Amino acid sequence: MSNQVGTLEKQEHEELGPVGLLGAAAIDLYIGGRELYSVFVRTLFYTFRGRRDKGAVLHQMYEIGNRSVFFISTTMGFLGMILVYQSGLQAKRVVPEFTMLGATYLELLVRDFAASLGALMLATRVGAGIAAEIGSMVVTEQVDALRMCAADPIDFLIVPRFLASMVMTFCLIIWAGTVAFVAGGLTAYAAFDVPLQTFFNMALVDVGDLSIGLAKCLAYGAAIPIVSGYCGLSTFGGSEGVGWATTRAVVNTSLAIIILNFFISGAGFLIFPG
Amino acid sequence: MISIQSVSKAFRPAGGGPPNQVLEGVSLDVPASCLYGLIGPGASGKSVLLKMIVGLLKPDAGSILVDGADVTQASELDLQKMRLKFGMLFQNNALFDHMTVGDNIAFPLRRLTDLPEDQIKSRVMERLAHVALTGFEGRLPAGLSGGQKKRVGVARATITKAPIVLYDEPAAGLDPVTSQKIFELLREEQRASGATVIMVSSDLDRLLTVTDRVGMMYRGRLIFDGTTHEAKTSTEPRVRQFVHGLTEGPL
Repeated sequence: MSNQVGTLEKQEHEELGPVGLLGAAAIDLYIGGRELYSVFVRTLFYTFRGRRDKGAVLHQMYEIGNRSVFFISTTMGFLGMILVYQSGLQAKRVVPEFTMLGATYLELLVRDFAASLGALMLATRVGAGIAAEIGSMVVTEQVDALRMCAADPIDFLIVPRFLASMVMTFCLIIWAGTVAFVAGGLTAYAAFDVPLQTFFNMALVDVGDLSIGLAKCLAYGAAIPIVSGYCGLSTFGGSEGVGWATTRAVVNTSLAIIILNFFISGAGFLIFPG
Repeated sequence: MISIQSVSKAFRPAGGGPPNQVLEGVSLDVPASCLYGLIGPGASGKSVLLKMIVGLLKPDAGSILVDGADVTQASELDLQKMRLKFGMLFQNNALFDHMTVGDNIAFPLRRLTDLPEDQIKSRVMERLAHVALTGFEGRLPAGLSGGQKKRVGVARATITKAPIVLYDEPAAGLDPVTSQKIFELLREEQRASGATVIMVSSDLDRLLTVTDRVGMMYRGRLIFDGTTHEAKTSTEPRVRQFVHGLTEGPL
């Protein structure tokens, strides 16, 4: 049977040719992008016009926020230590002087790393969870049952996660940045004898850095539930389909974060030059 | 009255390849207040047809009229309003895992009506009593047996007192005694409410004891439509083989 399927796929690939395959992939990408956009627009619509079940957003805030605190603190703490240690080693080779190590590290954290690394960590935990939960609801017909009760799955499933993620990603990233900065400060003190007062230097952080960092928090907070929710809703098949949806959610959410990072950073450099 | 006219549907396989024709030119009329049994071998398009009647799937061609309104042309917003007319028991029950039995049953009322909470609660209790699950309202679906889940599904499908109720495999995976109880319960429900009921089931011995009319699907086509008696006495080889469970024949 699998041989037959393999032969059919091979025949089909040969019939299409490389240009045809590229065209098919482009069409699939276009359709996927259009559907994702539709989920985004409907999420915004239901955010203002939808019907909230009591406690749904709070429950999701707990699931997305509180349950991620340990994971995000641990990963960001270690990443902070590695970043400062490696930066210190590089700096030592050029100018063995560490007075600005904390200030430059903090600027980098505020402007980019806290939000991007924190969101990538959240994409693995929260994004995968959202896609798996919604995906399993799709394959067990629970999403159809929702639609039968006039509950739009976007309104009932994605909007509470969207609102919760907007708030909790924002809070978690600020917390993650703090953990990474403190871990970095302790590493600088232990590895390079940089006093904590010297390391905790906010001289290089300006309004531009803060604005860009906060914009990223909001954008990532919105992207994670929408992309992973879309992956969950487009699940097909049984448990294998849920597995694929979860994988796609992590990959696509990570991609979305990196692409958003590129555009927001670019816009930031244009709006806040210097 | 449900009128299905020349409905066709094909699914494009996820990995590519030729489309899978699930329904082909299906036409069928289900009279009001009729208990209609839809039978046929697996993958003959029965569940797809049920989902099309309630607008969960759109056909590629044809129309489905429910009390004169074409479900296939309705927007999602119109469908939300139309769904007050329908109750549905899904093949896998589709109970919401995170909700208690009581909340599961109350969900359609909370979403589709403006009834006050005390009336919703009393309706839930009445439904629970009717399916012999009094005292189960606080339990989660994970803690129920297969038969209990089915009964919760039946209670949820019938709580809005919808004029059209669809049951997809109401006795799948249940022992014969529980199956018989479920079928009797559904028949009793239908007689009491006067609803139009379409029931898909592979348990023909029990299904044919409760239906008024029967339709048989085979490879996406409706090959038989008639009374239960006509189905039992049909000489059409495929119907005869399927209804009587014969191993020899064209199927």
